[in-house]
Amino acid sequence: MAPGLALDAEESRLNYAAHIRYWRRNLKTFLPHQFTGNDCNRMTLAAFIISALDILGDLKAALSDGEREGYIDWVYRCQLPEGGFRPAPATDLGAVRSRENQIWDPAHLAGTFFALLILINLGDDLERVKRREALQWLTKLQRPDGGFGETLGEADRVEGGNDSRFGFMAAGVRWMLRGNLEGPVDGVPDMDVDALVRCIQAAETYDGGLSEAPYHEAHAGFASCAISALHLVDRLPTSTPDGRVRGLNNLPLTLRWLASRQTLTLDEEDAADTYEDETDSSATCHDSHSFMKLRDYPTTRGKLSFIDQPLVHAELKWVGMNGRENKIGDTCYAYWVCTPLKLLGHLDIVDSKPIRRWLLDRTQHLVGGFGKLPGDHPDPQHSFLGLMVLSMFGEAGLQSVDTALCITERAKQHLESLPWRRKLLAMD
Amino acid sequence: MAVTLLSTVLRIPYRLLKVFTMPEDEDAKYYHDDPAWEDVEAIPQDDGALHPLAAIAYTDEYSEAMGYLRAVMAKNEYSERALQLTEHIISMNPAHYTVWLYRAKILHEIKADLRKEIDWLNPTALQHLKNYQIWHHRQTIVDALGSPKGEADFIAIMLKEDSKNYHVWSYRQWLVGRFNLFDQEDELRWIESMIEADVRNNSAWNHRYYLQRGKLGSEDAVARELEHVTQYAKYAIRKAPQNQSPWNYLKGIVRAANLPASTLKEFALEFADVQRPDDIYSSHALDLLADVYAEEEGSRDDAKQALELLATRFDPIRAHYWQYRKSLLEGQAIAA
Repeated sequence: MAPGLALDAEESRLNYAAHIRYWRRNLKTFLPHQFTGNDCNRMTLAAFIISALDILGDLKAALSDGEREGYIDWVYRCQLPEGGFRPAPATDLGAVRSRENQIWDPAHLAGTFFALLILINLGDDLERVKRREALQWLTKLQRPDGGFGETLGEADRVEGGNDSRFGFMAAGVRWMLRGNLEGPVDGVPDMDVDALVRCIQAAETYDGGLSEAPYHEAHAGFASCAISALHLVDRLPTSTPDGRVRGLNNLPLTLRWLASRQTLTLDEEDAADTYEDETDSSATCHDSHSFMKLRDYPTTRGKLSFIDQPLVHAELKWVGMNGRENKIGDTCYAYWVCTPLKLLGHLDIVDSKPIRRWLLDRTQHLVGGFGKLPGDHPDPQHSFLGLMVLSMFGEAGLQSVDTALCITERAKQHLESLPWRRKLLAMD
Repeated sequence: MAVTLLSTVLRIPYRLLKVFTMPEDEDAKYYHDDPAWEDVEAIPQDDGALHPLAAIAYTDEYSEAMGYLRAVMAKNEYSERALQLTEHIISMNPAHYTVWLYRAKILHEIKADLRKEIDWLNPTALQHLKNYQIWHHRQTIVDALGSPKGEADFIAIMLKEDSKNYHVWSYRQWLVGRFNLFDQEDELRWIESMIEADVRNNSAWNHRYYLQRGKLGSEDAVARELEHVTQYAKYAIRKAPQNQSPWNYLKGIVRAANLPASTLKEFALEFADVQRPDDIYSSHALDLLADVYAEEEGSRDDAKQALELLATRFDPIRAHYWQYRKSLLEGQAIAA
């Protein structure tokens, strides 16, 4: 065997051909009926599919002009007369839709955010988007505490959750449709940006993470959405105060929390053993800790899990990322952790090499895409976010991405070049 | 396994869907031949022309039920049969966001017995452990009932399935706030039992923090309560010094009380001493000592030593981070 071959076999690599096949399949064939629980998330899945092909550099080749226009039309069919988009045709009441029943078929924040991203990705000019109406609607989705809901219900009551996912998507819609202008634009009022920032700060946790709501547990998904939202409304912390309300309250602590998300707990078996076992063995402890000394064994079970473990366990070839303290690594958290680090300008406090190897060697699937855990089947969410991370790390051959918006730089530049937007932002 | 993998790879192209038929489910519920529904004309889904995105190969059962749901929603029908239809849809697609709002409206309009709603929600939540809407709906119902009776028992069943289920813990916090359970002995005893069962359950530590933080509202209160509020975390750390959850809790309490990190110096020294690198029992103690020394006059070298030990020996997975922390200290030295 030539020496080079052995080396090649060792090297972790992205299986382009398989990923492209995986995403084309998602684009051109029916998702199996097991996806019925995602029927109202079709716009989100569609955005992942289109954007993934774009990141892989295959979007142009994958679509004929007719298909491209057909998809654009499908997205516009989900736009509502009063502005905003529904997230799928599932709620479309058709010809009998009226003022009396439209609360069951309302504009939806995720539907709107991802519809705009798909249109941008497909090269549409957003001229058919009811932009003023959408922005007007967006301000009504904001709650008194500054957070955003998902839809407007009866008597315009804000419905749905109240966590940073919605603040993130609201900030995204605002940025796409009116850039970073503060205050009324074209007679349409702005959201209360200060209130959004304060709402995010209120969900900072005692350990430096961010959570769903004040005093809930720190969670990387919410941390990422919160920090992306601050980025999109240009309110990330800066070293010199500029008189505006800015997050975060304790940046050093947040960096520490984000760095703590690197873990060696990569398999279900590693994660399952902590119950009623308080030893610090590598079976219960998560970050190559078994080279710590142990004074005594608290329980028999603890003793059993500690003996036979190597005292030095510094196997750092593969490093995963988890979403919460003492949890197992999961492909999507690589995105939810690396995104805030990147936006805060500190992606270099984690070592990308072993994280990349973990994605490529452990969660990449042979049919293309990524699973949540090693050995899991791929699904669109994990497959898309895995690609996003690799692009963020500069994987050769992948298009570069805008981390917060989840689209390629190419697509973002298309949006920024649109005449109506340049005019609005006085860029001409 | 092979079969599911096959279905991931081999999918039905759009144009062939009509050729293949979905397997018939014997228990499937249909409406077109049900006399109770004969006055309703279903509204089929309109997926546009040739190029739908992320289309799903629905079962006939789901397609039909959704058609009837759109029809009764369009008429704003609030009835017992519509309530049953929402239940049917939820069993197939619990993340349908307006079906839950519609259900809540029906319950209100027909003045339904809300206790019965809880009886239905319990098994439904157990079937859909990761669903968010169920908990939002439960909150609406329990709020209207005005009593947390029975909720703790149900939460215990849910946490048996997944002791770190985020929705369940969020809901527990809502209950504590809504019914002011902060000072209930039961609540504290329960959370301690959860931590006893799994000292690494960070959700449980977070909940304990939520219950306790209010006790440190003033300087007097800190002087009076600090020892009491921190001793449990210290006990848990002595059991498993390498478990980060109680360390975070402890440092969080000290910060909330506006006390310096050095408040915990003596405690951290039980587990690590930078002068004796062969006797380190916890990387988190070293991390804490690095903070303490960085703030202490003339101890910057000890801080750097702690960070160096973390980067090279005791927490190499985060070597880049510890080096970054060290570079901050060196930057300060230059600035000074």
